[in-house]
Amino acid sequence: MKSTYNLPQLIDNVARLSPDREAFRYLEESISYGELFEKSNQLAFHLVSIGIKKGDRIGVFMNRCLETCIAVYGILKSGAAYVPLDTSAPVVKTISIIKDCEITCLITTTTKRRKVNQLLKEQSSLNIIIGDTIKNTIPSVSWNDIFSTRVGDFVPPPILEQDLAFILYTSGSTGKPKGIMHTHYSALSLSKIASSTYDFNSDDVFGNPAPLHFDPSTFGYFVAPLVGATTVIIPDAHLKMPASLSALIAKEKITVWYSVPLMLIQLLNSGTLGKNDFSSLRWVLFAGEVFITKHLRALMKQWPHARFSNLYGPAELILCTYYHVPEPPINDKPIPIGNVWNNTEYKILDDDNNDVLPGETGQLAIRSATMMQGYWNNKALTEQSFHRVTVADGYDHVYYKTGDLTQLNCNGDLLFLGRNDRQIKLRGYRVELDEIELTLLKYADVEEVAVLVLGKDEETQQLAAVIKPGKDASIKLTHLMEFCKVQLPYYAIPKTIEVMADLPRTSSGKISRKELGKLLEEHHL
Amino acid sequence: MKKKILNYIKANLATESINELDIYENLLESGLVDSIGMIQLVLFIETEAQIKVAPEEMIINNFMTVDHILKFIASKQNSEEKQV
Repeated sequence: MKSTYNLPQLIDNVARLSPDREAFRYLEESISYGELFEKSNQLAFHLVSIGIKKGDRIGVFMNRCLETCIAVYGILKSGAAYVPLDTSAPVVKTISIIKDCEITCLITTTTKRRKVNQLLKEQSSLNIIIGDTIKNTIPSVSWNDIFSTRVGDFVPPPILEQDLAFILYTSGSTGKPKGIMHTHYSALSLSKIASSTYDFNSDDVFGNPAPLHFDPSTFGYFVAPLVGATTVIIPDAHLKMPASLSALIAKEKITVWYSVPLMLIQLLNSGTLGKNDFSSLRWVLFAGEVFITKHLRALMKQWPHARFSNLYGPAELILCTYYHVPEPPINDKPIPIGNVWNNTEYKILDDDNNDVLPGETGQLAIRSATMMQGYWNNKALTEQSFHRVTVADGYDHVYYKTGDLTQLNCNGDLLFLGRNDRQIKLRGYRVELDEIELTLLKYADVEEVAVLVLGKDEETQQLAAVIKPGKDASIKLTHLMEFCKVQLPYYAIPKTIEVMADLPRTSSGKISRKELGKLLEEHHL
Repeated sequence: MKKKILNYIKANLATESINELDIYENLLESGLVDSIGMIQLVLFIETEAQIKVAPEEMIINNFMTVDHILKFIASKQNSEEKQV
């Protein structure tokens, strides 16, 4: 039996045995495993021919579309690592990522031309565009040119399981982006563990709403191919129009759905669940934030034939625990995040990194095959995020400290109790409140700032900023809002900015966010 | 109505600074308006056009562009007039 130790082999394996099986689908477009093998080979050949070497980083700048899977597998086959870039992020943010990991080659589509041109106006390492021909001084090549390449007897470079596969950027509390490095090994481990946990098979149809820069996309792009299943890439438009999304899930006969809870709540509220046929759905998986129990119960009653599972894991681990919800919860208590899955162990640590007693609250630390290699170009931060248990001199067990507070309940399930810092989840996005505050402070005449989350319900939760202007300064709020749009990703832009002559303080003189929250809630809600 | 909607999107909902917006710009695919923005837009239209948008009417064909939105509003106002 051939062993599988790198990601491109996932496609090769299925393409060899059943080349006609559908690998990815996007609305009316579709690509078989055989075609994906062929086309990713062509892209890899081209990349190698323009001098891309093993370990190089290549940017993927695309909306959800069929070409994403060719880009991912073509890059991986060339020996390079892909760096998915959020196309809706501000230009400065994207450029800082491009610079941080020295991307020279960007893969895109013609629909992103306006934005790509904006990126090219900035100083950076970018010098090759693939996927669109750009009227510019730098070389570019279209997808059609790639697909008419003759690869001959091209042999891709050897790829080891420990080689870098992709870097996922997330916001860092210092304002500098953090690049989470995953290897072929950590991603393949995810594929193996997830498919055995959920018994996925080649008849499954995966619904993949996550964009590439969001770690849940690893399910659609890497778990489904391991079992030879089909992944349906959900278009951007459907994700904003729940009634259309509902119709699409039914039409595509999706069997495995995996998204943040909010998307499921929007489906529930769309008033269409009774009208469409969801009989194919067998697994409803959710992660990324707490699923409010009353909504989960309502959804489980709508889809009694499907099984529901709560997954948990920061992007550094992709995923690590799961909890199969046995039946619609009877009360509104939050459901557990469950227990660690295969090839994974955990500790709950106190502030001094000692194990807490059973039943006590502490920070969750995880050791797993799916763990990241570290943060790109940031050894200090990597080491800071790890908890080392020395087994013998020179041999450590390395745990990732999640920053999430957990507790073991009497059934042996882990409960999620919030964060131990100021990172929050807003509609599934990781948001660092400190980062937003630091950004606002960059604006001239802002002397002090506090950013907080208002609203209890995850659907109505929003960011509010309160600023204290410098002495004799007058701040035009519309200008400040424009500044935010240029500096911050859209989900991190405060919905409201208030000006106060001074901010409420605690007895020690620190800004009292609690008091401020109360003040704002009284005013708005 | 056309101007009001375009101005509202530009001033309140656009996720990037834009100078020009026409009624044929795809609001959903381009990322110009995020999902919360779409909900705000629906509320705005309900107030301005004095119509009620049912959850099952939140479909791509009604909201893809400002042009689609204007046609949707017209058809709603038409059918409501007939009912009266």
